[in-house]
Amino acid sequence: MSDSPDRQESAAPLEIEVEGLRKTFGRREVLKGISFSLERGGFLSIFGPNGAGKTTTLRVLATLLTASAGSVQVAGHDVREDPMPVRRAIGFISHNPMLYPDLTAQENLRFYADMYGVEGREARVTELLERLELSHRRHDVVRTFSKGMRQRLAIARAILHRPRVLLLDEPHSGLDPRAVDILDGLLADIRAEHTFVMVTHNIAKGLELGTRLMIVESGCIAYEQAAGGDPASFTAVYREHVQEGPLL
Amino acid sequence: MSGWAQFKAILRKDLIRELRTRDMLVSMILFVLLAMVIFHYAFTVKEGADLTYFTGGMLWVTFIFAMLLGLNRSFAQEKDEHCLDGLLLCPVDRVTIFFAKTAGNLIFLLIVQAVAVPVFTLFFIERSYAGDVLPFLVVLLLADVGICALGTLLATISMNTRSRDLLLPILFLPLIVPVLIAATGATTLIFAEGAGFADLVARLLFLLGFDAVFLVAAWGTYDFAIGE
Repeated sequence: MSDSPDRQESAAPLEIEVEGLRKTFGRREVLKGISFSLERGGFLSIFGPNGAGKTTTLRVLATLLTASAGSVQVAGHDVREDPMPVRRAIGFISHNPMLYPDLTAQENLRFYADMYGVEGREARVTELLERLELSHRRHDVVRTFSKGMRQRLAIARAILHRPRVLLLDEPHSGLDPRAVDILDGLLADIRAEHTFVMVTHNIAKGLELGTRLMIVESGCIAYEQAAGGDPASFTAVYREHVQEGPLL
Repeated sequence: MSGWAQFKAILRKDLIRELRTRDMLVSMILFVLLAMVIFHYAFTVKEGADLTYFTGGMLWVTFIFAMLLGLNRSFAQEKDEHCLDGLLLCPVDRVTIFFAKTAGNLIFLLIVQAVAVPVFTLFFIERSYAGDVLPFLVVLLLADVGICALGTLLATISMNTRSRDLLLPILFLPLIVPVLIAATGATTLIFAEGAGFADLVARLLFLLGFDAVFLVAAWGTYDFAIGE
């Protein structure tokens, strides 16, 4: 249900294809037939109020939830029929860092490196700890880390296996300005090699990063457009659809 | 990446975490030791009374309740810290997660038993069973595998429910009764009469069958059990 589906036809192959995605929890239908696609190297920013179905969409893409109906392809593989290659192809960054608090930063990364079969494990762990300015805390347990440091380590966890697609669920949530800078710098560094889907409440950040913008409301796509328009007009559209408070 | 490498990674992670925090081991060992003290006073109604025929039951009831404590904790952090999502995002066969978790629980139960059995022997066993240690170890191992396989499967199912602390014992205790009966019978025979392998064949085969049934059941259902 798209108000202005002014999609740009692109020569790049599609990395994500979602067709008629429905998700039901008990009797409650959270996603009501969402369809969209994203070309390789694209950056889709998804906005919407709480409970709209944004995170559910992301979790279906990540194979953490099974679609009730519809088809979802990520990196050329069906997420339900062929989830293993999808899991190898994606990295997931959420506001929950998914790190073991009683393991050190290095132990956490080594564990995930082993789970993904990362070659040259020690070199990759060291590289990421240095890149995310955490090498001085590599032997400290994560429980002692600040929120920003945990989020940086979560980024390292998510890109450790060099995924093609990065799924970001409110990645800037709760970060201090320094951590936001590091996250943005890192996203800029890896932008060319990855396809991104980001769920966010931060309109400014979503507009800054996205090549495609989408508003999800009550389990449907309420609006979508290619990036590049006037931020103020997009904000007005968002207000019109979502009826929320201050956005910028 | 092989399933074996992933199995080792999950097991190593669980062992490091537990040996660092001792959350599960300390509570299980304390529970077992306190239960023995309670049993000692509860059953010593007459000076010099022979408790031999109660010993198997006391031992296995204690281990099963101790394991319940451990099972509740073994998945609590995975769930509470959202680490389970991280684990499920990895390209790992769900059955590998089951076997690694079961192996971890088995190791923790064996550590508890290594502390508890000598204390139990001191408190309750009058006859030396030094010659029957091997059959006793086989009974321990077979019963432990059954307890841990069933417990890990049910702990996984119950962790996604709101009342997981209540649901796990409600599911686990009735289903573990066959293991309790076989293990209690075998252990009591060993402690009381010095039974060898020949006397225990039926009970050992039963434990082996129970282990096989629940390992296969978990193999077939774990993907569903650990899902949404």
